[in-house]
Amino acid sequence: MTAFDYLWVFLGGGAGSVFRWFVGRIAHEHFRGDFPLGTFVINVSGAFVIGFLSVTFGIDWHDRFGTTLKSGILTGVLGGYTTFSSMQLDTATLADKNQRGGAVFYILISVGSGLAAAALGAALAR
Amino acid sequence: MREAAIPKIVALVFVGGGVGALVRELLMLQVPAGPDGFPVDIFVANIVGSFVLGVVAALQARRRIGDGTNALFGIGFCGGLTTFSSFVYASVVLAEKSPQGIVVVSCYVLLSVLVGYLALRIGQRIGGA
Repeated sequence: MTAFDYLWVFLGGGAGSVFRWFVGRIAHEHFRGDFPLGTFVINVSGAFVIGFLSVTFGIDWHDRFGTTLKSGILTGVLGGYTTFSSMQLDTATLADKNQRGGAVFYILISVGSGLAAAALGAALAR
Repeated sequence: MREAAIPKIVALVFVGGGVGALVRELLMLQVPAGPDGFPVDIFVANIVGSFVLGVVAALQARRRIGDGTNALFGIGFCGGLTTFSSFVYASVVLAEKSPQGIVVVSCYVLLSVLVGYLALRIGQRIGGA
């Protein structure tokens, strides 16, 4: 871990987070339903990209620093872009709206689609 | 509390997200993997981030904090600290790796989802929701 790795993680994490906020805003403006489409699209797309890039560049899943690609893009941008905490908050918000079924459906479809997207991204890169 | 200007929100999300990602990277450097490759580092990042987001979201719902504070800590820090991409990709790789990998992955996914949800709820309670 060098000073540059920390810098890339910070810059990538910041940029990915701003992009997440931006995509979330757009989704919120164009989709008025209760389903948290923004977080869903963000997480599934990010899962696909990490699978695709990791296999394309032969990067091990726990190897997350040392080069600009690993520190800046995989750990920084994709880690900052995708979010686990917002998925949980969305689930809790749905449950509080008396939509327990919707909450369970949302978290299951998020995790299921995310796993499938990561596997698909990796398979396409092979 | 009045709505903060867009450039200010963007700057706060950027700084919060950058710091959150740095903390996650430090966790990855310090926390060793568990038995059979269980990704303890990402697990810890996701649980802690969910807890903090619960506190922040509850405080914002009660108007105890403004949009700027929520942008820095909620959208920025918690979003940057937690990650969904590493969570699912590690699961896919570990599941393919060995026969017992599927057991490790099932535990990892289930524990992350359940403990994460519980952590967020505890955070909301502490934040006064």
